Amino acid sequence: MPNQTKADAILTPHNSGEDEASLLDILDHVLNAGIVLHGSLVLSVAGVDLVYLGLNAILTSVETALKHVEQRTLPS
Amino acid sequence: MANTLKSKAQAGNGRLLYLYGISARNPKVTINGSIHGTAAVERLEDSGLTAWLSRVPETEFGAKLAANMEDLKWLASASVRHQRTVSRICEAVTLLPARFGTVFKSEDSLLQHMHEQKDKLLETLARIEGTEEWGVKLFLNPSPPASPIEAVSGRDYLRAKAMVQVKKRTALDPDVVEFARELQAIAADSAPAGKVSSGQSNLEWQASFLVRKKDRPKWDNMLKRYATRWADRREIQCTGPWPPYSFV
Repeated sequence: MPNQTKADAILTPHNSGEDEASLLDILDHVLNAGIVLHGSLVLSVAGVDLVYLGLNAILTSVETALKHVEQRTLPS
Repeated sequence: MANTLKSKAQAGNGRLLYLYGISARNPKVTINGSIHGTAAVERLEDSGLTAWLSRVPETEFGAKLAANMEDLKWLASASVRHQRTVSRICEAVTLLPARFGTVFKSEDSLLQHMHEQKDKLLETLARIEGTEEWGVKLFLNPSPPASPIEAVSGRDYLRAKAMVQVKKRTALDPDVVEFARELQAIAADSAPAGKVSSGQSNLEWQASFLVRKKDRPKWDNMLKRYATRWADRREIQCTGPWPPYSFV
């Protein structure tokens, strides 16, 4: 896992939110990025479209989950 | 797919091939950890390209993969394992990271796709040689209590509060534009950041950069300069080095 760099340690005083933030960072970098070998994704029966649909659904569900978390922690 | 019929080298035993990425070199290194349980990281070499992969259960990575990827618990664990493994491979070799969840039915189908795209893969490998991906985020410090919303009635308060929120969504601060320009001048390339963390509180701006390893001192110095300049206004968060996920 990428480590916080020396520069980063200077730049950002981290607090308890660190674990959550790094999972978010991982998802940000890992999802919808990387090479795609055309036609290779999953099984021929599942097809490419199914995987892309899955990815969009993930992004939506992650965003939704985050909104819930945020709403719970925001004072109002 | 046309190639499925001639697949004689099936992954077999209810196993599929989970691809981490592709490299030009094939160093004999042992990578600890993998996308699934105790599965080993293996290398499959063919005509100048090497695929890095693990044999994973079809029950989890086959037809059910899309559903699993929508299960946040599964996704969180698998994405961390994917990232760790890809990062470890990147320590040994220049790697084109594969998209998370790229699974092949057989060695034949994987090799065929590698072969078909060999020129493009080698070209991209040359472009990312000696580089790393860095994520940069800017967070606005929460407004100090020095500027409270002054209001006499509840209705005025809500109206003023709404205006503050609207204000937040207006154009980027020119300082941030200048910062982005300076980052771009040092970096080999830049890309929009992923969408997942876009809901983080006070996130003002984010992007991914491809930085040459030799330019790291310049890069770090620039970030430090801005961190000092912005100390009371915003926080710079820089993560990395990441495999060049956003630049392949």
